[in-house]
Amino acid sequence: MAPIIEIQNYSWRYSYAKMPALNGINLIIEEGAFVGIIGPNGSGKTTLAYSLDGLIPSQYRGIKQGAVNILGREVEAYPAGALQKLVGVVFSDPEAQFTAMTVEDELVFGMENLGLSVPEIRERLEWVTELAELGQLLEKPPYEISGGQKQRVALAAVLAMTPRVMILDEPTSMLDPVSRKRVFDVLVRLKEEQRNTIIVIEHNLENLASLADRMILLSNGELLLEDETHAFFEKMDLLLENGIHPPGAMLFIHRLMQEGYYASRLPLTVDEAAACLTEVVARLKPPGPASSRG
Amino acid sequence: MNKTLLGYVPEQSPIYAVHPFVKLFFLLVVSLFPMFIASPEWNLALMLFILGLMWLSRVDMRVLRIYVPMVISMGSVIFLSYTVLGGVHPEFGLAARIAGVNIYWERIRDASVVYARILPMIFTMVFFLSTSRERDVIVAMRSVRIPFVVTYVFAMALRAAGMVLEDFQIVRQAEQARGFDTAGKSIPYRIRKYVMYMIPLFALSLRRSEEFANALLARGYAFTGEASRVKRADYVLTHYSFRPADLLLTAAIGLAFAALLVLRFGFGYFELERSWFIAWLKTALD
Repeated sequence: MAPIIEIQNYSWRYSYAKMPALNGINLIIEEGAFVGIIGPNGSGKTTLAYSLDGLIPSQYRGIKQGAVNILGREVEAYPAGALQKLVGVVFSDPEAQFTAMTVEDELVFGMENLGLSVPEIRERLEWVTELAELGQLLEKPPYEISGGQKQRVALAAVLAMTPRVMILDEPTSMLDPVSRKRVFDVLVRLKEEQRNTIIVIEHNLENLASLADRMILLSNGELLLEDETHAFFEKMDLLLENGIHPPGAMLFIHRLMQEGYYASRLPLTVDEAAACLTEVVARLKPPGPASSRG
Repeated sequence: MNKTLLGYVPEQSPIYAVHPFVKLFFLLVVSLFPMFIASPEWNLALMLFILGLMWLSRVDMRVLRIYVPMVISMGSVIFLSYTVLGGVHPEFGLAARIAGVNIYWERIRDASVVYARILPMIFTMVFFLSTSRERDVIVAMRSVRIPFVVTYVFAMALRAAGMVLEDFQIVRQAEQARGFDTAGKSIPYRIRKYVMYMIPLFALSLRRSEEFANALLARGYAFTGEASRVKRADYVLTHYSFRPADLLLTAAIGLAFAALLVLRFGFGYFELERSWFIAWLKTALD
């Protein structure tokens, strides 16, 4: 796959800050990849997302060094509105991203900005409404629906613009577990059915770990680790040192690995962890005749 | 219930059968009526007519209660400005002398006329905002090919007013939760402490505007450059059709305005000299 995002020695310092928010970032993301970005608060995750969507430097004042290229072109070289056809961002605060007073208008707004015709808009509207399960909400004001629904509206509004890169900046940080799962259900379907490059910034790794092809760890504005998801989580000590808390099931199997009970691949899901545990238990079971009852 | 710019209106309201352009046309034209009507009784009749339309549209009439203080305070300011603070006018007829201040009949009359003109204007706006959604404003303005940027900024301004009120409630509740409450305190105290609400409200508004600018850019909207010249599909217009009944209503509003002008300037109707209310007021004060 060809790289869609190339970041070369990129640093950004906000004009009001003494330290750079991002420092010496080098990163290549291939088209179609599902990438997870994690890191403690203040590590530069949102700054990275804004840098990829052109919000930085166009909307914020600061000093930039290095280059952020989307499809081989520097983000500043894109005319206003053109980069957003390629890169869509879903922000962490659902209410902060609404531009209209009904869910339908919200979904349509971005498509109209792209200059799509009414039949095209209708077709995409039906698609995203079905994908994000928003059929009952189209006439409602986006401010009056639940947090999970709001975030699905925001996701669908960006998705309707069919950007080649979708960035989700902590899309579930304000949601309850059920709503969080429903947002990730949409992402699962996207990964299965579409070829978008998806970048998800998240604190909660329970859902992300099983979806991401690659993971990135940011800390204090620097890229500490970038690897294929399994290999990434195998560097568990580094993650823990940097305040990252992997899913409990993964951590449990990692502990078994440290104790020497298990030596194979680290599981990413609860199901995989259960399979690992079954394997460990089977190996530990003492050999002998089968017990009988009665 | 559908949320409008100023409240909620039931989905069964007959107002939804009316094209948004007709509502906007009504607002713009009927707001002009009081400018050409000097007789207070006609302006008050117009206000009652608009209240009747609100009732027919199934607007929750309880919302009118929130305008009562505004109507009273506005009336007080107008009457005080014209009478007590109206200056010395020996050429006018003296109606009363209170605490050394001359109160002239002409100033009372003029204050009554101005106040009666403002009331229907206010209620026309309340009627429009109570029965229209932001979408209606956009549809109405786009129907007559007003540029999208003008339409959108106008709709956003209407929405922003509502959001500021909501934010004010949030700030107030947050400060109440921390033990700061001006309820039951004197008015000077409240005015002094108002800054406690205004500073966070101002900060919140700044944050909202930054977020909104980011959201617009993230959705590919640009005020300048190539992206701003994109031909918009106006998808929302596909939900509305301008029917013969809308045409009739629009024509009726336009004809009513034309008739008003003819009656006013051609036949002298609605003039002060013909006002029975002014005549009654003069008798009452003499």
